[in-house]
Amino acid sequence: MAEAHDPSVADYRATSPEDGGGRAPMKLVLERFLHNTLALLAVITILFFMFRLMPGSPLAAFINDNLNEDQQKAMLQQFGLDRPMWQQYLIYLANLARGEMGLSFFQRRPVTGILLEVLPNSLILTLSSLIVAYVFGVLAGAWLAWKRGSWIERAAVPVVLATRAAPEFWIGMVLLALLSFKLGWFPSGGASSPGEAYTSNWQRIFSLDYLQHLALPVITLALYLQGLPLLLMRSNMLEVMHEEFVTMARMKGLSEWRIVIGHAARNALLPVVTAFALGVGLSMGGNVVIETVFSWPGIGRMLVQAVSVHDYPLAQGAFLMIAAVLAVMNFVADLLYMTLDPRVSHGRAG
Amino acid sequence: MKRRTMMGTAAAAAVAPTGFAKGALAQSANEKIRKINFYTWPQAALPQAYQASQLIAQEWRKLGLDIDVKPLQRQAQTALIWYGRDKWDTTMWRMVGRPERSDPDEFVYSLFYSTLADKGYDFVGYRNPDYDKLAEKQRTQIDKEERRKTIFAAQEMINRDQPYAFLVHPKYPMAFNRKVFKEDTVVNQTGIGIRNIWTFVAIEPLGAQKDLIINSSESLNACNPLYIGGAVDSWITDLVWDRLMRIGPDGQPQPWSAESVEWKDDRTIAITLRAGMKWHDGQPVTIDDVIFSFTAPAGDKAPMYKPFVTEIVAMEKVGDRGLTMKLKAPNAAFFTASLSKINLIPRHVWEPVLKDLAGKPENAEQIKDVNRTGSGPFRMARWQPNEEVVLEAFPDHFRAPKVARWIMRIVPNAEATLGMLKSGELNFLGFFGGDPEVLVKFAKENPDIVVKSETDVGFEFVAFNCRRPPFDDPAFRRALSFAIDRRLMVSAAWQDFAVPSNSHVSPVLSYWHDPSVDNPKTGLAVAKKILADAGYRLKGNKLYYPAGKQEKLTTE
Repeated sequence: MAEAHDPSVADYRATSPEDGGGRAPMKLVLERFLHNTLALLAVITILFFMFRLMPGSPLAAFINDNLNEDQQKAMLQQFGLDRPMWQQYLIYLANLARGEMGLSFFQRRPVTGILLEVLPNSLILTLSSLIVAYVFGVLAGAWLAWKRGSWIERAAVPVVLATRAAPEFWIGMVLLALLSFKLGWFPSGGASSPGEAYTSNWQRIFSLDYLQHLALPVITLALYLQGLPLLLMRSNMLEVMHEEFVTMARMKGLSEWRIVIGHAARNALLPVVTAFALGVGLSMGGNVVIETVFSWPGIGRMLVQAVSVHDYPLAQGAFLMIAAVLAVMNFVADLLYMTLDPRVSHGRAG
Repeated sequence: MKRRTMMGTAAAAAVAPTGFAKGALAQSANEKIRKINFYTWPQAALPQAYQASQLIAQEWRKLGLDIDVKPLQRQAQTALIWYGRDKWDTTMWRMVGRPERSDPDEFVYSLFYSTLADKGYDFVGYRNPDYDKLAEKQRTQIDKEERRKTIFAAQEMINRDQPYAFLVHPKYPMAFNRKVFKEDTVVNQTGIGIRNIWTFVAIEPLGAQKDLIINSSESLNACNPLYIGGAVDSWITDLVWDRLMRIGPDGQPQPWSAESVEWKDDRTIAITLRAGMKWHDGQPVTIDDVIFSFTAPAGDKAPMYKPFVTEIVAMEKVGDRGLTMKLKAPNAAFFTASLSKINLIPRHVWEPVLKDLAGKPENAEQIKDVNRTGSGPFRMARWQPNEEVVLEAFPDHFRAPKVARWIMRIVPNAEATLGMLKSGELNFLGFFGGDPEVLVKFAKENPDIVVKSETDVGFEFVAFNCRRPPFDDPAFRRALSFAIDRRLMVSAAWQDFAVPSNSHVSPVLSYWHDPSVDNPKTGLAVAKKILADAGYRLKGNKLYYPAGKQEKLTTE
């Protein structure tokens, strides 16, 4: 069985729907919301203290040697850095609640604005790749389960495992060298052609130029991501196909494809949906590599750059935004689970 | 390093050396030199410097020293070396080239001037009153020939005392496509290379592609005439805002927005502004704008540019285009350090902005919507953070560019820059972060690509902490420095993309560089002789101090 080689598949399958036993749906939603909010608060707290406990003053980069002592004091006051740590922490929380993440040390602009400029690019890259990966993965996984024991399955599973195990940057560089440098089918980087101007971000996103630039990073990321849904779907299908309703469908004389898609796949889809929602959050952070290889202007590259120049407010903000997307998507996964499997909210755990 | 007490006595000079030979009888007072920590950068951060430090440590061990090579991340290294001045022995370090460093003053004065040892640039703690005199003197010598003699003397003194073991001046390769641009319109600037304003105003497109598309691995941080937030920021401000003077292709300052600049006496400068200059918004550039540009940073609202105007005590308007500047003291580097640095900014835009800031803790560096009206050869058209910056040619400029647009693409992947250069997504390589040999090979396979390398004004070196024994002894520093074969450094560590160095004035500044300090004799035999002559001796393959010299330092 493929999942025996792939612990992550087992993890997702272990996400059982039983733990909601006997509670009202609304209460459960609130509980899950609170759970995710607390997790996010923990991340915020760790980030706050982590950057302040690092060696060297967090101000060293910001406070200029040429400022006199009074000016430095004024600046410390302005940023609230003269107060005790716990007060700073509370102020930080209050500012965050208002959507303020401070000023970037080097860009001298509000962090929120900088991050919101690049966030859409990361979301588009991540979502497009996940959709491509999951549509392909689900269909191919279902099909491979159906072809159990055939030579196709024996050949396909190792190939899928190999694409999952290969480092993203390596896949990216190989595709770049082949499809871009050699064959010239795709541009080599960036999100649009040099000097191309658009009246709005929407116009840009739906332009052919943007889609051309998006294609290669999406193919790379999708190739990397498709292994999980494929293997997950395949192993779920193998289980579901032994259930009575499948035998029933066969007895009714339905076509094979209709049994697979209409009956078995619907029931096997649940853990895949969870994996998708969590995948959005996870690959947001993991896009650093793809964004660097393809010069894609996203949040991952912003994060790397901020860390490398010690721009703490910006790095902190980027980490936080990735964590926030992850927490939101976790919550969405919970909600989806409740909607797709009534046993979760109705307490009829099987 | 744990420090108990510093220093011992250095009575060795009085004791006749008994020779530097293995197994020589040691005098009872001789003390073994403790383990030496040699800090360097991690291999991933600066592979050349890391490789160099390993090669150097090998040679030093052959002198009988116990060397521990310790790579440190940038911030930890800065914290230790820059802020913990007496806590380290020796480290790899670098000084980077910048156009304003084309005048020797910045390196000659700042690096080794005694009063800068505690907090300033003299982080190695070199204190020598004779050197201080030379550093001060060259500043006041308006007569270039006389100043040159002083700069030569300073280099000779540093060669004698070796507070640094200079290793190499790196060479930076850049490239362009000769199918797109006329080859002889690309200008090389001494110590900087072909990525410079002289190229960008002169370069001539050959065909339909009228845009110059250049790469950068870093993003633009700020585009503000009163603040520079990173290396790439100055590429842009250079082109959008004019200055009275510019560092020319030969490394010497020359009039730019000024029609002429002249010393009237050793503290008075007469400046005449060019006629007919315009701001990007169409308004004329006046002499009042020039005076405003030099007055604005003097307050507390532009701390980064303030040091460049503090020398000015008075400015007086002379007619429509004339200006007289009075300086506090004679300053030979003023043309480079101030007139070539201060961006000319429109008074009608900035006066209200600075008035608004008065009395507030914020300064001009934190303005959210910076007005980017300059008078330079290019004007800002668009800035897509992390993606690209688009500048348009300003046709009313006195050196109007031949290209239509100057586009800087942010490309963090070094290999991808080569793919882009081939496909035409880039046509000018302003920076290459990969292995230079790969670029040279790439150019051989693609004959349209021309690679040009230029030796840097900056340099890579080993810094010795002159405050701590054994590095407080110039003879010891000389021995360690001359144990290093610079040619090996160039070939093995920098893959021939560097030239050997033994001076803080780069050989590309040919007028100021003293060739007599080049190519000192190096090798283990030379180093061993210097140590033996100074009284150091080997015992059981370990190096011992000269008789009588003690130290009470321990190595952690």
